[in-house]
Amino acid sequence: MKIAMMTEGTYPYGFGGVSVWCDQIIRGMPGYDFQLVSIVATGAEPMVWSLPRNVSSLSTVLLWGSASASRAQGRRYALPRRLVGELIGTLLDSSAKAQARFAHVLYELWEFGQHGNISAGLASENAVRLLSEAWADRWPGAGHATPNMHDAVTAMQLLDHSLRPLAHPPVQADIAHAVTNGLGVLPALAAKWRYGTPIIVTEHGVYLREQYMQNTNGPYRWPVKALHLGFMRRLCALGYNEATTITPGNVYNRRWEERLGADPARIRTVYNGVDPANFPALDGEPETPTISWVGRIDPIKDLETLLRAFALVRQKMPAARLRMFGSPPRGRDSYLQRCQALAAELGIDKAATFEGRVANIRDAYDAGSIVALSSVSEGFPYSLIEAMTCGRACVATDVGGVTEAVGDTGLVVPPRSPEPMAEACLTLLQDDEMRHRLGAAARLRALENFTVDAAINTFDEIYSFLSRGRPLPVAVAAPTEPFAAVPSVIGSEEHDLLPWEGVR
Amino acid sequence: MMSRTVSIAQDPKANANGLLPSAAGMTRARDVDELCQQFIEVCQSAVDPMEISSALEFDGLSDQIARQRYGARDVFALADEMYRRVPRRPAEPPPSADPWKNSKLRAALHGLLYGLPTVCFPAAAGLLSGSHVLRALVVALLTSWALSQALAYLGYVRLGRAGSAAAARLLLVGMTVTVAGVALALAMAGLVAHARVTGLIFGFGLGAYMLGATVLLVLGAEGLLLVVLAPGVLGSAAFLLLGRPAGLEHAAWATLAATPLLALGLATVRACREAGIPGPRGLRDRLDRRGERGLGLLRRRSRLPGQPGPAADRLAVLSQLREALPSAGFGLVAAGLLVFPVAVGLPGHHGVNTGAVLASLPLALSMGMAEWSLIWFRRRTQRLLRNTQSLPAFTRRARVVLFGALAQYLMAAALLIAAVVSVASATRLVQPHWAVLPEVSAYLALGGAMFLALLLQAFGSRAFPLLACAVALALEILWRDLGVLGQIVACVELLVVLAGYATLTLGRAVRHAF
Repeated sequence: MKIAMMTEGTYPYGFGGVSVWCDQIIRGMPGYDFQLVSIVATGAEPMVWSLPRNVSSLSTVLLWGSASASRAQGRRYALPRRLVGELIGTLLDSSAKAQARFAHVLYELWEFGQHGNISAGLASENAVRLLSEAWADRWPGAGHATPNMHDAVTAMQLLDHSLRPLAHPPVQADIAHAVTNGLGVLPALAAKWRYGTPIIVTEHGVYLREQYMQNTNGPYRWPVKALHLGFMRRLCALGYNEATTITPGNVYNRRWEERLGADPARIRTVYNGVDPANFPALDGEPETPTISWVGRIDPIKDLETLLRAFALVRQKMPAARLRMFGSPPRGRDSYLQRCQALAAELGIDKAATFEGRVANIRDAYDAGSIVALSSVSEGFPYSLIEAMTCGRACVATDVGGVTEAVGDTGLVVPPRSPEPMAEACLTLLQDDEMRHRLGAAARLRALENFTVDAAINTFDEIYSFLSRGRPLPVAVAAPTEPFAAVPSVIGSEEHDLLPWEGVR
Repeated sequence: MMSRTVSIAQDPKANANGLLPSAAGMTRARDVDELCQQFIEVCQSAVDPMEISSALEFDGLSDQIARQRYGARDVFALADEMYRRVPRRPAEPPPSADPWKNSKLRAALHGLLYGLPTVCFPAAAGLLSGSHVLRALVVALLTSWALSQALAYLGYVRLGRAGSAAAARLLLVGMTVTVAGVALALAMAGLVAHARVTGLIFGFGLGAYMLGATVLLVLGAEGLLLVVLAPGVLGSAAFLLLGRPAGLEHAAWATLAATPLLALGLATVRACREAGIPGPRGLRDRLDRRGERGLGLLRRRSRLPGQPGPAADRLAVLSQLREALPSAGFGLVAAGLLVFPVAVGLPGHHGVNTGAVLASLPLALSMGMAEWSLIWFRRRTQRLLRNTQSLPAFTRRARVVLFGALAQYLMAAALLIAAVVSVASATRLVQPHWAVLPEVSAYLALGGAMFLALLLQAFGSRAFPLLACAVALALEILWRDLGVLGQIVACVELLVVLAGYATLTLGRAVRHAF
C-alpha cells in the first residue's frame, strides 16, 4: 500500500520532534511504501536524515524557489481575473459563508494549476491592482494602518508563495498523510481532488496557533498580517474539513481543531511513543541529589524559571545539583549566554551546569535523581516520555499535552513559576519513597500508553480502514482519552520554516 | 513580555473566593479589564479573537483559569470578550533596516575599482603592439567578460539562497572552470590568428584578473581587490608619470604580472575561508567530492532507492547553467559594444580611435555612479511603495524617479568624461582632438544604456536588455563603414529603446517586490 506523506520544514530536512516521529512511523511500518512530499524554503536545505528503505520517492516543493520554469506556460493560460478577485474577496470577508467560497476558489485554483501557472497570476500587476482596490473599498479614507502599495505587493507575494504547494503534481497513493495542517495540506488536497485519495492530518502542535504567534510581533503591517492570517485560518479550517481523520498529538489540541470546525467524530488523539528497548529502566541514582533537564536551549523552554527554581532548592538543599543537557540551535546561542549569566547572578553557576549534547540521551536521564521540564510551550514532549520510560519521576510545567503524559506519575506545576517548581522538586528529592514509587509508576504508564509500537499500531489500523474506503468506526474514533483537557499553551515549535522566513 | 500574568497562572484559585461569575456567564469586568491592559498591544493589533487566544495560551493561561478567574467559558470566549472591549489600533511594525544603507560608499568604491585597471593599459602599450595582439586581447576581453557575468550571477543567486559558505564553494569551482575556459579560448585564438605569445599571456592575465575580481566582489571583499590592484596600478602610474623611461618598462610589466596572480590567489584564500575549507588539502578533498555531484550547483539530496539520481542531478546543474546564460550573453554583448569601436579602429585617426580610448576610463569610473544611481532608484521606489495608496499614482511617480536616476547618471558620466579629457590634455598624455566629441557622445549614450541595462537586470528583466544590446551591436557592425555616425546612431537607439522599456517595466509595482 502506498502512503504519501507531506511535511513542512521538517522531515527529512529538519531536526526535532516531528521529524523523529516521521522517521519512527516510516521505519515502524516496513509493509507500507512511503512517498515523501517535503515543503522546504529554497531547496538549499541539507538533508539531515538518511531515508528508510521503504521510502520510494522524495519530492520537494520549494516555497521560495524561482517559478521561471513554468512562466512561458503561464502566458498561454492566464489566471482569470475573476478567480483572483474571488480569492481576495473570501479572505477579506469574515462572514461564516466565506469559508465555503474559499474552499471552492481553492479548488478552482487547483484545477487551473493543472494546465496553467497560478503563481504568475498571483504575482501579476493585475492581482496587486485587485487587492489595492478591494482594500480601498474597505478602508475609506486615511486612518489607522491604511494599506499602501507595499502592503499590496507583499500580501500578494505571500499568497503566491503560500500556494506553491497546490501546483505540485498530485501524488498518486492510497492515502495522503499530512504531518501538519496549513501548507502541508495543499499537496494532500491536490491528491484528493485528482484521485479521491483520503486525507489524514496529524498535528503535533496547532499549526494556526503557531502562525498567530509568529506574526503577532511583525514584521508585517496590519493589513498584510490580517490577509495572511485570514488565509491561514481558512486553509487550516479547510484542512480539518477535508480530512477523513485528524490525529492530534494530544487531547489539548482538539480544542483548537474543534473551534475551527473539525468534526469531533473524526478526531483521534495519537500520542507520541518511544522504543522501550532504547530506554530500559535505570538502576540506581546519582549519589548527589540531582535535577536533570534535557532539550534544546531555547527561550520556549524557559530555563530561566528552572534556574530560579533551582536557586530556591539550593537554599533548602545545598548539596543539590542541576545538570542541563542540550545545545542551542545553530547560530542562536544568545539565550544560552543569558542563562549562564543568570546562573552566575543567582550564585548557582557551580552547581547548575550546561553539559552540551550527549551521545546517548539515556545518560542524561541517568544523571538525575529526577527530571524537570520547564517549557512554556510543548506538544507532547519526547524528553518527558523518555524519562518516564527510564523510570524517572518528573516535575513538569502544565503546558500542551504534559498533563496527559505525566498523569499522576509526576508533579505538574504552572508555567513561569519558580516557587511551585522548586517546591515540587524539593518534595521529590527529599522523599525517597515517593520518588521511587512515582518513577516506577511513570515507567508502567509509559510502557502502557506511550510506546512507538502503540503509535504504529494505531496508524496501521487507520491506514487499513481508510484505504478500504471506510472511515474509522466511531468506537475507535472516540477513544477513552486518559485525561480530560486541562492546561494551555502553544504546541510544538516545529514549524520553523514559514514562507516569509525564506530568502530575505 | 507579559510577566505580570505569572501571578495569574501561579494560583488560579486565589480569587475564587471572590465574586463568582453571574448566572448569565458574564465575565468579571474588572479582572478582564486588567487582563486587557496587560495584553493591550496584542489586543489592539489583533486581526481576530483567535490571535488573542494564542497570546493568552502562550502566556500559560488555561481554560481552567479563564473559568475560575474571569468567569469565561474558556480561553476562546475570554479572547472574544477582550477583542470586543479593546478597539483596534494596530501598532506599526518597527521600520526594517535599510539594506542599502552603506551601499552608496561601496558603489563609489566599485567605480574606482572598475576604473583603476584602465591605467594599466597605456603602461602595457609596449606589449600590445601589432594587430594580432589586439585580436588576442579582444578574445580575452569577450570571453572573460561573458564568463565573469555568468559566474557573478550564479554566485549571487547562491549567496541569496544558501548563504556565503555555499556561494564560496560554488565560486571556487566556478573560478577554476572559467579561468580554464579563458585559457582554452585564447589557445584557440592563438592557433587560428597566430597571435604573439606575449599578447596571449597578457590576455590570459586580463581574464584571470577579471574572474578573480568577480569572486572577490561577490564575496564582498572590496578591500582585498584594492590590494590586488595596488602593485599594478601604482607601478603603471609611476611608469607613466616618469614619462615611460625605457629602462623601467620591464619593471612596470612585472608589477602588472602581479595583478592576476594576486587576484586568483586572494580570491582562493578568501573563498576557502568563507567556505570553511581549512587549506589546500581540504580544498582538494572538497572539490573531489563536489566533482561527483556535478559542479556542486545542486541542492544537496541523497539518492533514493530506484531513482536515477545522477541524471536528475545533471538536469539540475544544466538548468542552473541555463539560467546563467542571459548573464553570459549580456557580458559578451556589452564587451562587444565597448571594444568594437576600439578594435576596428575607426578611420580618420591613424587606425586608433582616440575618442574611444579616452572615453573608456571615465566610462569604467561611471559604472560606480551607475551602481550609486541604482541604489538611489531602489531606495526611492521602496519609499514610494510605502507612501502611495493606488497603483496609477505609484506608476506615475516611479517613472519620474526613473528619469531622475538616468539624468543623474548621465550628468555624472559627462562630468567624468570632461574631467578625464581635460586632465589628459593638460598633462599632454594624449593629444586631444575636439573631433573626438562624437565618439565621446556615443560612449556617453552607451554608458546610459548600460546603466539602464544594469537597472533592468537588477529588477529581474534579463532577456530584453540582452536582446536590445545584441541588436545594437549588430547594427554597429553592419554600419561600420559609416564610422562614428553608425556608432552614435546605434548607441542612441539603444538608449532610447531601453529607456522606453524601463518606463513600461519599472513602473509596475510588482517589479519592486523584495
